[in-house]
Amino acid sequence: MKKYIDYIRIGMKEHLVYPSAVCAKLFSKIIYLYLQFCIWSALFSSGSIKNLAINKTDTLRYIVVATIVSTVIECNIIEKINAQIQSGNIATELIRPIGFKRMLFSRHLGDTAIKIICCLLPLIGLVKASVSLQLLCIEQIGFGIISILLAYGIQFLYSIIIGLLAFWLIVTWPINMFLSAIYKLLSGVWIPVTMFPEILYRINLFLPFRAIYSIPVSVLTNSMKMNVIWQSIGVQIIWLVILYILMQFLWHEGRNKLVVQGG
Amino acid sequence: MNSDNIIIEAAELRKTFKVKNREGNLFAVKRYSQIEAVKDVSFSISKGDIVGFIGSNGAGKSTTIKMLTGILMPDSGSILINGMDYKKRRREIMMKIGVVFGQRSVLCWDIPVIESFRLFKDMYCIPNEIYNENMDMFTDILNLKEYIYKPPRLLSLGQRMKADLAAALLYNPEILFLDEPTIGIDVLAKDRIRDFIKRINQERCTSVVLTTHDVSDIEALCHKMLVIDRGSLLYDGTLNDMKEMFAVQYGDGRDKEEIELEHIIKQIYKGRFL
Repeated sequence: MKKYIDYIRIGMKEHLVYPSAVCAKLFSKIIYLYLQFCIWSALFSSGSIKNLAINKTDTLRYIVVATIVSTVIECNIIEKINAQIQSGNIATELIRPIGFKRMLFSRHLGDTAIKIICCLLPLIGLVKASVSLQLLCIEQIGFGIISILLAYGIQFLYSIIIGLLAFWLIVTWPINMFLSAIYKLLSGVWIPVTMFPEILYRINLFLPFRAIYSIPVSVLTNSMKMNVIWQSIGVQIIWLVILYILMQFLWHEGRNKLVVQGG
Repeated sequence: MNSDNIIIEAAELRKTFKVKNREGNLFAVKRYSQIEAVKDVSFSISKGDIVGFIGSNGAGKSTTIKMLTGILMPDSGSILINGMDYKKRRREIMMKIGVVFGQRSVLCWDIPVIESFRLFKDMYCIPNEIYNENMDMFTDILNLKEYIYKPPRLLSLGQRMKADLAAALLYNPEILFLDEPTIGIDVLAKDRIRDFIKRINQERCTSVVLTTHDVSDIEALCHKMLVIDRGSLLYDGTLNDMKEMFAVQYGDGRDKEEIELEHIIKQIYKGRFL
């Protein structure tokens, strides 16, 4: 157990090695949030959006909360696994008496801890000070946190699965680019999924993406009936299990496929 | 040789890679070809041996080492480390082997070396006394003090290599695998690294398997030799016997001491000997 705590510490330290990168991250989030806020406000005031299931206030709440939550949920291990498989440096991890995936998760936890301190908290402070909207649905905040934790797990598994595809493809950035476009649209990190046309909405019901942003953010911002909340969390748990099984399968198949490149 | 002493046993190892060939222009038809990187390689290594594993570039050394260290799975054949199989007792084996890759570092790139050492201390459950004793010894021989508080990205290649070597030996492994440990290292640093490996081997009876292209490494360290070419094992025996064999066949009356090892190895790679 202790070794995984060490990895959490290492993840934190690795994140802090380049302080300018941490600051840049925070600023990019602030600018992004401001941009989103301006675009949606302008869209609604211009009157070009009509007959939507969601009004201006709800949209703004959704967008602000989604952006804040994204600082925690984001996961950059796709590139890390990719780089390791591509360069063959994964060899140096495979010779250790540890679980590779657990090691990745521990590092990711450390990474997230720093993001919470350096990105999430300042962002929350800033939003509190500058936006006068009531953002959260206070009664559901407990469920919201559970939902965020599940989404965190789903995002991690999703990333590791895409990363592990490198065992077969060696280079996964093209597929990653393609998927990240779909991901950004369908997960609801850019646009509330309730705005989708019927057909897209229906397709999305069968994909894991909405479990990452749409569900937790909705639970946090919309007042819902109890059974709807449980249903949402149930959907997340199902996806967590499915992706976990898929990841284990890919890992076992991929290990036999591994070609350590370069000497 | 006592069979109880055998620490590594490899039997009929085989590994094939599928390689994509695309000849001519970008739109040429892709053809796949099978490359047999290692075919039917069997050998055993006893406790306390220092074994030099040589072969020309692309002969299959690295592939074999990677199979021995559990990084690659052989297509067929078996590897027993201390009687244990990677499929069933992977973690136990990992606790007993140390690996150093000359061309890659196992240390976390951006954080001080000492942090990586602390991680290994917990990872391998190293008791405090052993950790401190080892750290003292490594500081002594490898000058750890000079660079242990710096991250690997700021170290010279020689320092990084020494730090990697120390990291691999921190938990007193029974077998040490060295994949080109002296590549790109200056003469003095090389000497230190060799002395260190020798001392560890003598004091702790650690078995060492090393691949190298540096003939002086072999002469300084190895008792035993494994020679591999195009995926097949050509020679498995002592360095001395190999020299003697060469002297008898091609020596023209010269004694084995007078023939340079480099000459022998060149003849092997050219396909004229063994």
